[in-house]
Amino acid sequence: MSTHPARRRAALLVALVGAWVAGSALGATQPARHASAAPLFQLEPAHAEYVPLLDGSKPIYVLVIGSDARPDQAIDSQRADSLHILSINPAEHKASIVGIPRDSYVEIPGHGTNKINSALFYGGPELVVQTVEQLTGLKFDYWAMTGFASFEQMVDDVDGLVVDVPFAMSDEDSRAFFDPGVQRLDGDNALAFARNRHDLPSGDFGRSENQGRLMVAALAQLKKEFNQDPARLLAWVASFVRNGTTTLSMDEVIDLAFTGTAINANKVENVVLPGGAGMVGSLSVVTLNQESLDAISKDLADDGLLKKANVPPSPNESLLGG
Amino acid sequence: MTPNRVQRGAKKRRVPLALLIVPIALVAIGVAILLALRGGAVPIIGGGDEPAPPFDFIVKPATAISTAPDADEAALSASADQVGQAITPAIDDLYTNAFLDPSNWRHDDYDEVFETFAPDAAATAEQSVETLTLGATAGDVFQTVEPGKSKLSYQVLFDPDGAPETVVVTVIFRATAERKDGTYLAIESEGEFFLRQVKGQEGWKITAFDVTRGDHETKPPSSPSASTSPST
Repeated sequence: MSTHPARRRAALLVALVGAWVAGSALGATQPARHASAAPLFQLEPAHAEYVPLLDGSKPIYVLVIGSDARPDQAIDSQRADSLHILSINPAEHKASIVGIPRDSYVEIPGHGTNKINSALFYGGPELVVQTVEQLTGLKFDYWAMTGFASFEQMVDDVDGLVVDVPFAMSDEDSRAFFDPGVQRLDGDNALAFARNRHDLPSGDFGRSENQGRLMVAALAQLKKEFNQDPARLLAWVASFVRNGTTTLSMDEVIDLAFTGTAINANKVENVVLPGGAGMVGSLSVVTLNQESLDAISKDLADDGLLKKANVPPSPNESLLGG
Repeated sequence: MTPNRVQRGAKKRRVPLALLIVPIALVAIGVAILLALRGGAVPIIGGGDEPAPPFDFIVKPATAISTAPDADEAALSASADQVGQAITPAIDDLYTNAFLDPSNWRHDDYDEVFETFAPDAAATAEQSVETLTLGATAGDVFQTVEPGKSKLSYQVLFDPDGAPETVVVTVIFRATAERKDGTYLAIESEGEFFLRQVKGQEGWKITAFDVTRGDHETKPPSSPSASTSPST
């Protein structure tokens, strides 16, 4: 039986169409040669992270105030027995801590010349900020303050601070009894470590450096805990907000905490303004070394960081076995 | 008599139609059988991708973190659970879009994934597509992806007025992907996401994250894909 030419053409067309459809479909489902030849998938553990760090070129200045208020006292109307300038260079992920001796005899705006710690009594933390701004020429972005009880609780809320106690301490007044070495201090012991001055040859100067040491330890611990479990940041922020008094908003505390996780605590300069003890009438005071004060203030104003050349000797040098 | 054009056209149509329908149908059936034998849920020719498999994380009770010394812990705890419930659909969608929806992973189209991120975080997330999603070449490699048992937990930080400020979502995501060569890969994504309410953006957005992928070879599942428990 002969086939009609039109049917043959139609059959050929159908065959071609069918082959194209089938071929295309099969082609689409066959693994591409390059895909099967390439590694099938990344099997090494992969990691991705993003931390919102402050990255501006302008340094951030925070005045950290420790009030000597006892548990039943208002913390903003006592004396500021602990004063530290915390300056952060966000772009370089670095920071400096400069302690100001509490007995520094300085001009207090509206209150003549007096010990710097009395500024808190005269005008609250705002006057302390004004006083330190006038002394250093720095413009503070924030202040943060704690008292005895709130400091203790702050430390306990983060399960203690791991501190490398630099030398043995044995002081009845502050109840600071420590062997040297790395140890975790609870709130009570951290406060004792921060208060001890009778046991130190340089008194309040050495104490101020040790208070800075606690801040460096906190920074190191925040970073370590964050790296192990990022959610720990919430505990640190909550501890600070719950127990501290500050001009930082909650958002700013969180931003600073994130930024703190990027700072290498080992490279934080922790210094105390040098000066000499003296008497003004019946007052035992500290006269700050003006040359060093000027150099440190200028350094901080430039980029928030201290140049090695301007780092004064440690007030605890004799105990550190330098 | 020579047929006119209409008649000639009508005559010609009758034969090819009969010839066309049957073979095309046969070829289509053959292709469908072939595809079915290959074990894949490959889209029907001319159709779209199959829908994403249903997926919900198992959600643990949220933890409230207060910043007020005299906070009502019970009220905050209830509020933390509400925050978690509000965020969970977004995290379900995030992982569905990143790992389970074939219309995304087959076409390297993960745009929906990055909508959950705040702008600054999104830029980094987009550079981490191989960790945060099934990957840019997943369409070349994988045939199907089925979700496994996956868990979420929340820690909610409240401000001193009792308003939720920051949420950390801890995620453990599991899935099994079948490759086109018939082997299987266990997908494991674990991490933490920080979410905050970003000015100018609706709802909670991811502002920070830390995610690790620990994929490994696995055996074929013994039974058809296990369904996941719904969010609670």
